[in-house]
Amino acid sequence: MIEVSKWFSPGGRSMYSLFLLMVLLVLTSCGGKSGGDNRARTAMDSTLVIAMLGDADYLNPVLGSTVTSSNIIGLIYPSLLQSEFDTETGLMNYIALEKKLRTTTSGQAQKTPKGSIARSWSFSADHKTLTYTLRNDAFWNDGEPVVSGDFKFTYRLYGNPVVASARQQYLAELVGADKGQVDFDKAIETPNPTTLVFRFYKPVPEHLALFHTSLTPLPAHRWKNVKPVDFRNAPLNTAPLGAGPYQLKSWKQQQELVLASSPKSTLPKPGNIPLITFRVVPDYTVRLTQLQTGAVDVVENIKPEDFTALLKANREIEVKTVGLRVYDYVGWSNIDQKEYHKSGKVIPHPLFGSARVRLALTCAIDRESIIDGYLKEYGVICNTDISPSLKWAYNARITSHGFDPAKATALLKAEGWLPGADGILQKQGRRFSFVLYTNSGNARRNYASVIIQQNLRSIGIDCKLDVQESNVFFENLHQRKLDAWMAGWAIGLEIDPLDVWGSDLNKSRFNFTGYQNPRLDQLCGLAKQKMEPTGAKAYWLEYQEILHRDQPVTFLYWMKETQGFSKRIEGEELNIAGSFYNIDDWRLRPSANIAQ
Amino acid sequence: MLRYIFKRLLIAIPLIFGVLTLTFFIIRLAPGDPAAFFIQPGISPNVAEQIRAQYGLNDPLPVQYVKWLGNVLQGDFGRSFSRSQQPVIEVIASALPITMTIALLTLVANFAFGILIGIISAVRQNSFLDRFLTVTALFFYSMPEFWFALMMIILFALKFPLFPTSGLNEIGAEGFGPVGFVIDRIWHLVLPVTVLSINGAAGIARYVRGSMLEVIRQDYIRTARAKGLPENLVIFRHALRNALLPVITIMGSSLPFIFSGALFIEVIFAFPGMGRVTVEAIFSRDYPLIIANTFISGSLIVLGNLFADVLYAVADPRIKL
Repeated sequence: MIEVSKWFSPGGRSMYSLFLLMVLLVLTSCGGKSGGDNRARTAMDSTLVIAMLGDADYLNPVLGSTVTSSNIIGLIYPSLLQSEFDTETGLMNYIALEKKLRTTTSGQAQKTPKGSIARSWSFSADHKTLTYTLRNDAFWNDGEPVVSGDFKFTYRLYGNPVVASARQQYLAELVGADKGQVDFDKAIETPNPTTLVFRFYKPVPEHLALFHTSLTPLPAHRWKNVKPVDFRNAPLNTAPLGAGPYQLKSWKQQQELVLASSPKSTLPKPGNIPLITFRVVPDYTVRLTQLQTGAVDVVENIKPEDFTALLKANREIEVKTVGLRVYDYVGWSNIDQKEYHKSGKVIPHPLFGSARVRLALTCAIDRESIIDGYLKEYGVICNTDISPSLKWAYNARITSHGFDPAKATALLKAEGWLPGADGILQKQGRRFSFVLYTNSGNARRNYASVIIQQNLRSIGIDCKLDVQESNVFFENLHQRKLDAWMAGWAIGLEIDPLDVWGSDLNKSRFNFTGYQNPRLDQLCGLAKQKMEPTGAKAYWLEYQEILHRDQPVTFLYWMKETQGFSKRIEGEELNIAGSFYNIDDWRLRPSANIAQ
Repeated sequence: MLRYIFKRLLIAIPLIFGVLTLTFFIIRLAPGDPAAFFIQPGISPNVAEQIRAQYGLNDPLPVQYVKWLGNVLQGDFGRSFSRSQQPVIEVIASALPITMTIALLTLVANFAFGILIGIISAVRQNSFLDRFLTVTALFFYSMPEFWFALMMIILFALKFPLFPTSGLNEIGAEGFGPVGFVIDRIWHLVLPVTVLSINGAAGIARYVRGSMLEVIRQDYIRTARAKGLPENLVIFRHALRNALLPVITIMGSSLPFIFSGALFIEVIFAFPGMGRVTVEAIFSRDYPLIIANTFISGSLIVLGNLFADVLYAVADPRIKL
């Protein structure tokens, strides 16, 4: 027998020293931690940390296309108008320094107009010319004034096919757009540095005109020498020059992006919190842990199942909700897609072609129990794609199709679907059997799809489940290859559903179901002609009744978006328009150490 | 031996090119569209088309291949689709050192602990210590690493907040001074490297134990003992050197494994390394980045195997290359 201690010498010496070194490292790192603790705390007290799923793509309003980018761009760049969502009516409001589209009635904290570059605007009686008067005391961070030319310059970029901006749709009503190419010389005029004129080829409702003309500008003097071909690769993209409450301090891609309060900003003012760090934390569990330990202050989209444990573990956390903008649905192919791809002919789908069958499917699905089991108080039954939050247009008279398997069976029987020998419904030798597809990595949809499968099985429908990788799933969806699927939509705050329900299947790229109803097309067209959104209310009420009757899809539930906040943040307002709606007004309560 | 190495490297070139060509076609034939993100309501239908044109995806496949080949031969792997058109080489240059650090630290920890535990188990065969170590090693060896990582986070970051859960440094670490910064970095690496190495070390310990037991029974060990050599000299100089031969082969081939192990560690601990780059590139169908990553990992596997063969010859003079 040999003694353990002997193993370490002489041949084991190197191993022994390695071991010692490791112990030493662990010890010193712990020591280092407490030594650096105060400094870290001081840093934390002036820094708000937001956990993000993914990094920003471009810090350039023309190119930025992720939500993270939009949030950050909104803090760096100035905007022509401020916009707010009026929770009383569900209408968007646009605010210039001295003018508002509508006076909001609600007592909610309102967005300060001081962030707007526009002093005021006038809209011609024919709804074709929008003239902004800009303020003359707005400056880029390098001291140059923000002028009307900056807007015209940037709109040229938004419209340039070589730049391929995701926002070129905003230019679709400008003069020339009807002929395929916006005529910028006529469509946007800048007679002097504080006057900016937009011309439309057709009458446009005022709120839409304001929405579409208030895209974020770039400083023309900084960007004018960059060729459109090099636009995406320009080094300026990583060193943005803005004018908003924050400026970029550092950006370690895929790690963290730090914004510092911009001391000279007057649009509207330097941000309250000195530093805002956006940290990339891809794993959900880790984001949650970090919120719990206080390493980050804000985590978006917390799953309802985690609330109780989270709030119990740390009393300094609160969960706030906002909505309703997002819903899940089960899509039924209304048309026989194989036939449509083969001959272009539209014939009803053998299973889901009839509105009565689709209604039966809706009645057979226990939506309440999906909500009770997963979303709890953060879910609301969904009847159509007009959100209850858009109060002005929402049809509150519609009563949901309740869970009623008996009714479902009767409806199916009336359609000729009768139980076969194996217990599965049959009609003319065809079994009621199909595959319900959904995308991978979504726990909520997995949960719901299992309940749906059981519900349908109990009335004699064989529903198989298949989970596809997201890219594959969405490609199949876009190519109208799936018979039944589960997916979701996030709605825009302006109602414009023709892309999803329009009868022209070539034009309506997102009409995955192939649903066709001429009256619906007509209603959408009529609503668009109204120059004031509330004027279209009657059309939208009828629109909802039609969808409720025809059930082109089974609408499942609206979801509240749930965000976790550290209680050290004060003054945050959640808004349907975005979680970081008034982030420049947030404050951080100092930690106990500093207060002592 | 130099001649051998040169020959192996020469063979590696067409091999890697074959792999890249295969990857090039497979990813383009797989479903999914790099411009898919731009196909959504509210975005003009032209955008996806314009983006595809920018990426050069509208050309026929053979044309794309020839263009790509020309660029790669000049050392240009193109620009990333998903990472704001950053040159692919830049993306990798910033990610590779991070993964390399983790992989090397893990490799060292793997073998240090694995060999140590293996020797103890072998020398004290069938003792309580041996059984304890064997069971523990098996326990860790069969544990899924991602689960173990999450458990470590729950234990050492949540219940006993000793270590941080993500990132390479604390917020404001730049202000700690150079020593503080390095210590902070090491402090961030403790959990991930532990997770990655425990599993590997457990496996290596089993190997070392097995081969050590075999060697200890050999005649020459008995001879060494009989001529009165001290026990530690017998174990370390005579037995270990021979017992390590099979382990050396593992060393070469374990580098790619550690690399792929680093993949989920990077996602869980939010390190911007190669693993995360690869996963994100695949999910967003970032063709140039996927190919460049394949190039790196392919080269590593080839080099790793070569390294193992060379080490083998170095450790055992009987083997001639």
